[in-house]
Amino acid sequence: MQLKTFVSQLLAAFALVTVVALGAPASAQQINPTANSVQEQQLLDALQGQGTVSGRVSIPDQRSADLIKPGNPGWANLHNGTVSTLSIVAILGTLGLLTLFFLIRGRIRVESGMSGRMIPRFNAIERFAHWMLAASFIVLAISGLNLVIGRAVIRPIIGEGAFGTLTAWGKLAHNYLAWPFMVALALVFLFWVVHNIPNRIDLQWIKQGGGILKKGAHPPAGKFNFGQKLIFWAVVLGGAALSFTGIMLLFPAETATPADWQLFQIIHGVVAALLSAVIIAHIYIGTVGMEGAFDAMGKGEVDINWAKEHHALWVEEVEARESRPRGRAATPAE
Amino acid sequence: MARMKFLCDADRCIECNACVTACKNEHEVPWGINRRRVVTINDGLPGERSVSMACMHCTDAPCASVCPVSCFYTTDDGVVLHSKDTCIGCGYCFYACPFGAPQYPRVGNFGTRGKMDKCTYCSGGPEADRSEAEYVKYGTNRLAEGKLPLCAEMCSTKALLAGDGDIIADIYRERVVTRGYGSGAWGWRTAYGDSVSV
Amino acid sequence: MLVKRRTGEATRGRLASVAAGLAAKTIDRRSFLRGSGLAVGGIAAASAMGAGFVRRAEAGRVDPEQNVEIRKNICTHCSVGCTVTAEVQNGVWVGQEPSWTSPINRGTHCAKGASVREIVHGDRRLKYPMKKVAGQWQRITWDQAIEEIGDKLLSIRETSGADSVYLLGSAKFSNEGAYLFRKFAAFWGTNNVDHQARICHSTTVAGVANTWGYGAMTNSYNDIRNSKTVIFMGSNAAEAHPVSMQHILTGKETQRANVIVIDPRFTRTAAHSTDYIRMRPGTDIAIIWGIMWHIFENGWEDKEFLAARVYGMDQVRAEVAKWNPEEVERVTGIPGEQLRRVAETFATQKPSTFVWCMGGTQHTVGTANVRAYCNLLLATGNVGSAGTGANIFRGHCNVQGATDFGLDITNLPCYYGLAEGAWKHWSRVWEVPYDYFAGRFDAVPAKGGREARSPEQNMATPGIPSTRWFDATLMEAEEVDQRDNIKAMVIFGHGGNTVPRMQEAQRGMNALDLLVVADPHPTTFAALHDRTDNTYLLPMGTQFECSGSRTASNRSVQWGEKVVDPIFEADNDYAVIYRLSKKLGFAEPMFKNYEMVQGKFSEEPTPESILREINRGGWSTGYTGQSPERLKAHMRNQDKFDLVTLRAPADDPEVGGDFYGLPWPCWGTPEFRHPGTHILYSTDLPVKDGGGAFRPRFGLEHEGATLLAEGSWPKGSEIEDGYPEFTMALLKRLGWDADLTAQELAVIERIGGGDPEKIDAVSWSTDLSGGIQRVAIEHGCVPFGNGKARAIAWNLPDPIPVHREPIYTPRPDLVADYPTREDGRQFRVPNLGHSIQAGVVERKVSESFPIVLTSGRLVEYEGGGEETRSNPWLAELQQDMFVEINPQDAAARGITDGGWVWVTGPEAESRARVKALVTERVAPGVAFMPFHFAGWFQGEDQRGKYPQGTDPYVLGESVNVITTYGYDPVTGMHEGKATLCQIAAA
Repeated sequence: MQLKTFVSQLLAAFALVTVVALGAPASAQQINPTANSVQEQQLLDALQGQGTVSGRVSIPDQRSADLIKPGNPGWANLHNGTVSTLSIVAILGTLGLLTLFFLIRGRIRVESGMSGRMIPRFNAIERFAHWMLAASFIVLAISGLNLVIGRAVIRPIIGEGAFGTLTAWGKLAHNYLAWPFMVALALVFLFWVVHNIPNRIDLQWIKQGGGILKKGAHPPAGKFNFGQKLIFWAVVLGGAALSFTGIMLLFPAETATPADWQLFQIIHGVVAALLSAVIIAHIYIGTVGMEGAFDAMGKGEVDINWAKEHHALWVEEVEARESRPRGRAATPAE
Repeated sequence: MARMKFLCDADRCIECNACVTACKNEHEVPWGINRRRVVTINDGLPGERSVSMACMHCTDAPCASVCPVSCFYTTDDGVVLHSKDTCIGCGYCFYACPFGAPQYPRVGNFGTRGKMDKCTYCSGGPEADRSEAEYVKYGTNRLAEGKLPLCAEMCSTKALLAGDGDIIADIYRERVVTRGYGSGAWGWRTAYGDSVSV
Repeated sequence: MLVKRRTGEATRGRLASVAAGLAAKTIDRRSFLRGSGLAVGGIAAASAMGAGFVRRAEAGRVDPEQNVEIRKNICTHCSVGCTVTAEVQNGVWVGQEPSWTSPINRGTHCAKGASVREIVHGDRRLKYPMKKVAGQWQRITWDQAIEEIGDKLLSIRETSGADSVYLLGSAKFSNEGAYLFRKFAAFWGTNNVDHQARICHSTTVAGVANTWGYGAMTNSYNDIRNSKTVIFMGSNAAEAHPVSMQHILTGKETQRANVIVIDPRFTRTAAHSTDYIRMRPGTDIAIIWGIMWHIFENGWEDKEFLAARVYGMDQVRAEVAKWNPEEVERVTGIPGEQLRRVAETFATQKPSTFVWCMGGTQHTVGTANVRAYCNLLLATGNVGSAGTGANIFRGHCNVQGATDFGLDITNLPCYYGLAEGAWKHWSRVWEVPYDYFAGRFDAVPAKGGREARSPEQNMATPGIPSTRWFDATLMEAEEVDQRDNIKAMVIFGHGGNTVPRMQEAQRGMNALDLLVVADPHPTTFAALHDRTDNTYLLPMGTQFECSGSRTASNRSVQWGEKVVDPIFEADNDYAVIYRLSKKLGFAEPMFKNYEMVQGKFSEEPTPESILREINRGGWSTGYTGQSPERLKAHMRNQDKFDLVTLRAPADDPEVGGDFYGLPWPCWGTPEFRHPGTHILYSTDLPVKDGGGAFRPRFGLEHEGATLLAEGSWPKGSEIEDGYPEFTMALLKRLGWDADLTAQELAVIERIGGGDPEKIDAVSWSTDLSGGIQRVAIEHGCVPFGNGKARAIAWNLPDPIPVHREPIYTPRPDLVADYPTREDGRQFRVPNLGHSIQAGVVERKVSESFPIVLTSGRLVEYEGGGEETRSNPWLAELQQDMFVEINPQDAAARGITDGGWVWVTGPEAESRARVKALVTERVAPGVAFMPFHFAGWFQGEDQRGKYPQGTDPYVLGESVNVITTYGYDPVTGMHEGKATLCQIAAA
């Protein structure tokens, strides 16, 4: 960006020199446009591999006035190198770490065993929003990941034709499912933001490492513990970033400049990679990683023992809330 | 095998746009798609130069390197082509291209990009040479008929040269020597890594 | 992105451009296939959902399985004369290939030439005859159209006279069409017949012909390759004649030539110059005299040339002496040193050529400008040899030919004028008695203090220029010097936005009793007005839809072969003129010499037979040697002609020794095999090889000095001195009459009617046998004589060109010294320039309208622009009418690049809503607008006024809404290049 400004300043300065020459008919100096001709080399040297050599075109598409962007292959390198590598490392790395964790720590059990008594944790609308978010994200992530590694991994296996078909469908799915994703993201945010505001209790949770590493350690937590809050904010902020950049990329003709597209595309790729890693961890802990956790989103209610171990404060809160009306209702029956 | 290139001699180019309409004419390129365009640098100032630009058919083409579906391929003539069957219109090639060559019909869902369209060096695509299918997707295949791209063939001042890179570089070199000036083989350094030394 | 039909709204928003995808559908006329770019079924479904998009027109594809016919024609846009090679399959023009063998364009084209195939496919063409009934366009048949138009013309003739019908022809006609249209006017009985030359180079033709004989480019585009110095003044060849730049830039490189551009705008041509000099519009004469001041001061003039071949330069020298560097700088703003450099370069680095276009001609002093340029050429000896000359780049594809064939208010075909002798000559050629025509013309009653005219006198009286037709419609009948006002306009191939004061043109259109537009497109004439009835549109084919010859700017005549039949219900010019003549009752005498064939809807004459008649009568201009056979042989043998000399090798069996296109004069009969004249007035070659001399057209002496050449003659001349034009009498005196064949002599005697005096008077230009020309040339002599060029033209208003400020001058302080000419009457109407200029100064118009407005061309469009704005390949490249404004002026007015502005003019409260193009191309205080736009009128979108489906893709305000009064006294040329305006953000 700075370079771009620099170059435009440089061009402006160049223009200024020539303007002075033209705008002064009183000077008898010869204006020799042939001798003054702008040189490609001179412009490229000034740009130092970045920025844009641009001019004027008569067609309305002003982007086409950009003649040469020597920096664009740099974007290609960034995309092919850093972003691809990051995506692969983030996803494979997370999977590796989780495998390792599973091997060491094993499945986190409900230590006090299942009581069989369930308490409601997420109502139907919450679960709908979550699963809409989850389902769309998974398709988005996979179809997105396909764009990064598909040509290296899948194309050799299934061949160009099928890969093309698959990816075209993937792009369609990506474009269409982005909308339910964004809707769900908004719902989830509205439903749970109150419970995800970090507070002092989270310090204790952090101190104890979430209790994940050691058996028997159960730091107190409200509806969401700090780990879940992290995931929430990662999803909300990452999702928002993906949504914004995604919309920008979805409507290229109406929005922004090519330089912005490049930036958005890189942000989209990096955030997607990181968020995918987070979500993989989230899926792990919600399924195989922890006994009883899946029920929260599966059935909408959790075993009271699981809840007491992981969300003691929330259980207290729920029980307190429930006992009051129940008491009132029960009294006349006695 | 010849290595086909374009060279725009900006000291000859007068922005007459013949290259643009010749391309439209030859390939029936629809409104809004400009496989070739003419850009004027320093418009209205002494030193002004116009340059006709399209896909330069780069060596190690950046578009090909970023294409998520690898729809690009380089022919034996050094022409960078792509398969519209495989293309998904993601736009990455546009981000990577230093010359703004990739064009997209705006007909996709949400007004996004359709399948990418660009200069084919008048040499079609992966379909059988001069077939109906090839014409429908990519336009005429002149190279298969032993003809060069129409834009260069019709250039009013013979500013736009097409043909084997060595030959057109020689023509350009000779011009520069004859006339004593030259603003450079625009885009060559970026596309091919080296320019025409005089 | 204006492709959807929209009315009443003079703007275009983002939505319109978002709709581009949809709009693509309306662009394609030929059932674009929604081709699938996808291979397999599943993906095809995806395509339907929008992931895939490829579409293509069937008509664009050359099917390799089928036979391809190649047809050669000539580009229908500018005058360079580029050959167009069409590939035709099953009657459809499917492809366009480079025309490598043409020595003129060598395969190349500009944006227009490279897109001409669209013209015969375009769905924006006028598809069938139409008329307006109660304000609505209705489709009618050709028969009905001809019948109704004919009846109305006859009734107008009855009540108001033949002169009340204005016949506006076209520079887009073939030579044969132009000639036929002129002949039509003669048979109808009026000299009110004109075409685009009036508004582009009429002043050139007048100025140049009055200097050295003929009104045409002296050399050729190719010949500029020989020049060491080229001055472009008021010419932007890079945009107006792009293919010419091939020759110019190559010459610049190989000769290391100086290319000097003197222009108010830093144009694309200026960008390739070696010396750019910015000038104030309308100061050409001051600049030329300023250059010549240095030439005379330093003795750089070509004294030998002046002595041998130029008359009157000393008187010019006296005028030039007033233009010392101080005065030049005061008037033009150009410092003396710059002009000294130009003068030295032009006079000493020879051969030098001078190129001008409408920047020079479209002025109230247009003719004087042209003569000033000629004087610069004469003073430096830069006429009549390779690399020199007045290289006048003409505008339309056949504006030279249409001028040659007298689509002009002052001439019968081939510059014979309108005098009795001219009429008698053509009467003989047409084999119709002279009295027949006298019977067709109006007698003009005495009115407004003017004398009455007999029909014979009226025949010899020039008509009304196309720039003034609406004045002749709207003025009091008393003021118009003919029987009645103009009541009907019959317009073949001419835009309605091409002359200033469009508000008046609009009123004029509304006032007409009959308006007939015969054109491939409806043109502004169909949309500008509020007429409800008596308005007809006739769909005409372009020159790609008929055969015929056309004359390029360099006088080369090229034969164009019909590419496809006229599309839709269009018909060609020959057939329509024939049908009208038939209806009007003079088809029999008019067409009796032609071979008639069955055309699309009716009988029509063959262009070959029309050209043969031209060959029988075009002696004065050397249009006699270009038989259809020879022209077709040239098209077949294009590859034989040298790129620079344009000459074929002597031993070629078909075109041996010929210059390409037999550039006129091509003397004698076709059998005489004159090669044509590549470079006019060149004494370096024998006349039989295309040599010549200046034409002594203005008498043999003036003020006691001879007007014949002294010590100069074409190579191989048996008379080694000047001599007058060849007549029978001169042949006899030289004893050369014995060389005439008995046949030739019989023809000459027949023309003389047996009267010895009249026989002696038969000249090279009236001898229908060609004998006099043949004998003169065989003796090495030029048929028209060997005279001097005239530096002063005593028959013109300013015998020596005088600087005169534009009527709307930004420098009222100079008007006292350099006023425009006195008011007067020319061409049947008054010219009130002087009074208007006085008012402009008095009202201090330049204070409220401080910006000088000039106009010009864009490369993508041509002329009034209807045809090119209807071609999507071109229209896409220029989608908005704009005004170029300097950044300083823009900043002072809060105008941004691309923003909307109102340009207002000093007459009739004119205003135009256009986009601003903020650029250094124009100097502070100067604005430029292109002249190709129409369809918006002072902020109103007139799209709905076109018949449905014929509106051009791109519409915009016309510059001529803003341009103002001002007419050259010699030709009626309008002032299109120097007026005043104000600009404000909209």
